[in-house]
Amino acid sequence: MKKAYDFSWQDLGDLTAGRPNLGGETSVAIYRLMQFTFKDILSKELGREKTSELFVKAGYLAGREFCRNMLSTALPFNEFIADLKLKLIDLKVGILQVEQADMERFEFILTVSEDLDCSGLPIFGETVCDYDEGFIAGVLREYTGKEFTARELDCWATGDRTCRFVVKPVER
Amino acid sequence: MSSSTHLLETLNHCLAQAMERGIGKNGLTFPISCEEFQDPSCRCFCENLEQIFGQINETYRLAEALANGQLKAEVSRSNIFAMPLKALQSSLRHLTWQTNQVAAGDLSQQVTFLGEFSESFNHMIESLRDKKSLEQRLKTITDVIGEGIYLVDTKGALLFANPEAEKLLGYGIEEMAGKIILHAIHKQVADGTLFAPEETRLLHAIANGQTYNDNDCVFTCKSGRLMPVSLACRPVVTGDSLEGAVLAFHDISEQKKYQESLHKINALLDMQASTDGLTGIYNRAKFSKLLKVEIARAARYGSAMSILMFDIDKFKDVNDTYGHQSGDKVLIEMARAIHHNIRSTEIVARWGGEEFIIIAPGCGLEQGRQLADILRLKVEQTAFSVPRKITVSFGVAVFRADDTEISLTNRADTALYRAKENGRNRVETEDSPADPV
Repeated sequence: MKKAYDFSWQDLGDLTAGRPNLGGETSVAIYRLMQFTFKDILSKELGREKTSELFVKAGYLAGREFCRNMLSTALPFNEFIADLKLKLIDLKVGILQVEQADMERFEFILTVSEDLDCSGLPIFGETVCDYDEGFIAGVLREYTGKEFTARELDCWATGDRTCRFVVKPVER
Repeated sequence: MSSSTHLLETLNHCLAQAMERGIGKNGLTFPISCEEFQDPSCRCFCENLEQIFGQINETYRLAEALANGQLKAEVSRSNIFAMPLKALQSSLRHLTWQTNQVAAGDLSQQVTFLGEFSESFNHMIESLRDKKSLEQRLKTITDVIGEGIYLVDTKGALLFANPEAEKLLGYGIEEMAGKIILHAIHKQVADGTLFAPEETRLLHAIANGQTYNDNDCVFTCKSGRLMPVSLACRPVVTGDSLEGAVLAFHDISEQKKYQESLHKINALLDMQASTDGLTGIYNRAKFSKLLKVEIARAARYGSAMSILMFDIDKFKDVNDTYGHQSGDKVLIEMARAIHHNIRSTEIVARWGGEEFIIIAPGCGLEQGRQLADILRLKVEQTAFSVPRKITVSFGVAVFRADDTEISLTNRADTALYRAKENGRNRVETEDSPADPV
């Protein structure tokens, strides 16, 4: 049996060297094509719940790596969130906004508009941003050193124009 | 009339009414019951219309709620008309949070993708950042300036203190905030007496927006110590409105100590310049100055004044017999004896060698003679260290209107000479008959 793969940021490759003409960007449709075909196959192989769980885990790993490699954890919280927001806009991931923040409990309601995963989807009647849930929790885990859960309340796919997440620290 | 025609006409009437009167409180009412239609197509169309009417009404209510600032208003997920309003609602919630963040001092907030509003908001943030930067620079200046700085309102209530002010007076800003300076730091004068409010020129200057400087002021420290300070007060004016004043002060304790020591040194130098090093009484130079003053006074007021010059009899014998140290001791004891037996208004000085001189203001010649005789007796009765008995001879002269210092002392000296000639241990006045040659 082959050894499990361990992700490393370097595995994203040297895009300047590798895509001198096409560059580092691709279309959202192609990104979604890959994600939703993964979802299709995995849900059929492993079931819907397990697939969601795996997407959350992958998003969590991505969030931690993104924070470690793209953000400065030395910044104060407000500036960290402002930096995260700008990075997500620059990378065309989505427009992050804070609707509520309880800094004593470290509980937040965050929204992501024009989200890479779901904005513009048909209304499925259920939230689909499992990967985003993991991503948000992973970023906050890397910044604070504490575990978080991010649960999506509203989604474009449920008829909303923005994805809304409730973020809370994991109680031990 | 066919059912479809009936449906369209009813719908048209309903829409025309709405177009004319608006949707109103009750909303857009769909007037037909779907149950009326037997035709499945008509019935389905009717049901869709009913649902759309419902969604329009719900969207209208959401728009109204948002217009009234009710950002928690809810709407059904399946409402396709409300979707842009939901995006607006989300943006408004975020803006509310951002505004609170800015109010709490978080200037990292930026608004994106909201057109002119984004530009205005971000411009406001830039201005606040500039202001904060300026405040930070001013704070740095006040932190390192080495002067205590207080900001007060027009009533003299403290609003701000820099670290140096806290260090100098010992009060933290939190315990001073809002306190009137008259009740805290500026309540006493240098001797510790409490100010009456009307007496404080500083409070007056603060209340009236005046510039005020005081280089001889004291502030009361938390410990109770009175700290001498040099103070500058400048009004703070915004537009036409007087906001209060800035007080800048520094501790001048060292300066005061230096001044005091300077006074002491000067006093010592003055004393050294005016006193006789051996006996501690005035020297001749000082005596001359004092005599000039007394002559001027006597001339001005026409008052009497006598000069008593005296000399230790046979002082050379004391030196020769007991040595110069003993002679010096006699001079010291003599000065002390005379000094203790004259009035505070009378002045004694060492004239030179074993000669002394006294100014007796208010004494005519006879009173001067009596004083000289009393002193002569006191000396005679005084037990000196060695030899035990010492006598002195006095010459007394009285001030005349045309006298100078020299003419007056010369007459006293002549009288003294006569006292010596006439046997010593006696008093002679300027009008004593000359001794027979």
